Amino acid sequence: MTPLTISVIVLWIVVLALLAVVFALTRQLGVLHERIAPVGALMLNRGLAVGEPAPAVDVVDLDGASIRLGAARADGKSTLLLFVSPTCPVCKTLLPIVKSSGKHERDWLDIILASDGNPDEHRDFVRAQGLANVPYILSAPLGMTYQVSRLPFAALVDEAGILRARGLVNSREHLESLFEAKRLGVASLQDYFSPAK
Amino acid sequence: MVLDPAIGLLITASIALLLASAGAHKLRDLKAFDEIFSAYGLMPAMPGMRVSWLVPLLEIVIAAGLVITVSRPYSGALAMLLLSGYAAAIAVNLKRGHRDLACGCGGPERRTIAAWMVWRNLLTALAAGVVFLPWTHRPLGLTDGLTIVFGVPTIALIYLCIDQLLGNAQRTAQMWGSR
Repeated sequence: MTPLTISVIVLWIVVLALLAVVFALTRQLGVLHERIAPVGALMLNRGLAVGEPAPAVDVVDLDGASIRLGAARADGKSTLLLFVSPTCPVCKTLLPIVKSSGKHERDWLDIILASDGNPDEHRDFVRAQGLANVPYILSAPLGMTYQVSRLPFAALVDEAGILRARGLVNSREHLESLFEAKRLGVASLQDYFSPAK
Repeated sequence: MVLDPAIGLLITASIALLLASAGAHKLRDLKAFDEIFSAYGLMPAMPGMRVSWLVPLLEIVIAAGLVITVSRPYSGALAMLLLSGYAAAIAVNLKRGHRDLACGCGGPERRTIAAWMVWRNLLTALAAGVVFLPWTHRPLGLTDGLTIVFGVPTIALIYLCIDQLLGNAQRTAQMWGSR
């Protein structure tokens, strides 16, 4: 065998190996397309209907500024209400994600954190988590109005004051699926997977 | 255009492999293919007469014929006819609006027919036309053997990749379009 023949054999083997890898990747892409479907969050209970006006609530944040939630907004931005608690470990892992998402989506979205309990405890929490720039509301009625059953819980209210999505959020995927839900007009995970309407 | 025999053999062997694997796949689950075949609705219903088994048989016979020198032109012509026939069958059913028809083109998942399959089959049929081009005559050596032995799996993998990518795109489109 001449050196050229050997070189050709080696090249063929490399080409085949590369193609095998490309094929495996295309298959994985197919699987990913199926698994990471753009969906709304998992909805845990019935009650507040997505697609209908969100309940309007007047609240005061930790700094004393008053905020009106659930009303149409003049600046055309949506509001993400995220219910958290200093004692919820998942909330702590979610907060850096919320901050980065908030920065990323700030053109159309304001994030407001909500909780209830002792204000001093929450001020310590805000300081420890570096949340000084995010409005933080303490209001038990707010949580009841939005029927928060588990934390961290999010509700997305659009610029017209319509509730677009609500549900449990445990990860960046859950959080972003709320944005997808608004974009696609899908209310929840169950809604997405129910037969075509 | 005069074709080098190594290239000609590479193309015909690749088409032979495609047909043989398609035939083998259909034979493995003849009952399923029978249902797909009748769903295409191109044959008059003949109770008690099953012709669907003819398709995989024909595929395998053509595949074998493509690798043998004497029968290559005939098999090439049959392959062109068969592949164009598939393209026509898919096109007719797309035109009828039967978009959720299983294509029966193999693979682990049930895939529905799509316009790109018509083009794929027409292109493959066109490739089978190399049997009608004049081939140069020269003795084939070791390097030609390598070209064919390694080239066939290479082409097969490229085919599978394109197939998979188009299938992915199709499924994604269906997912987004279903709302």
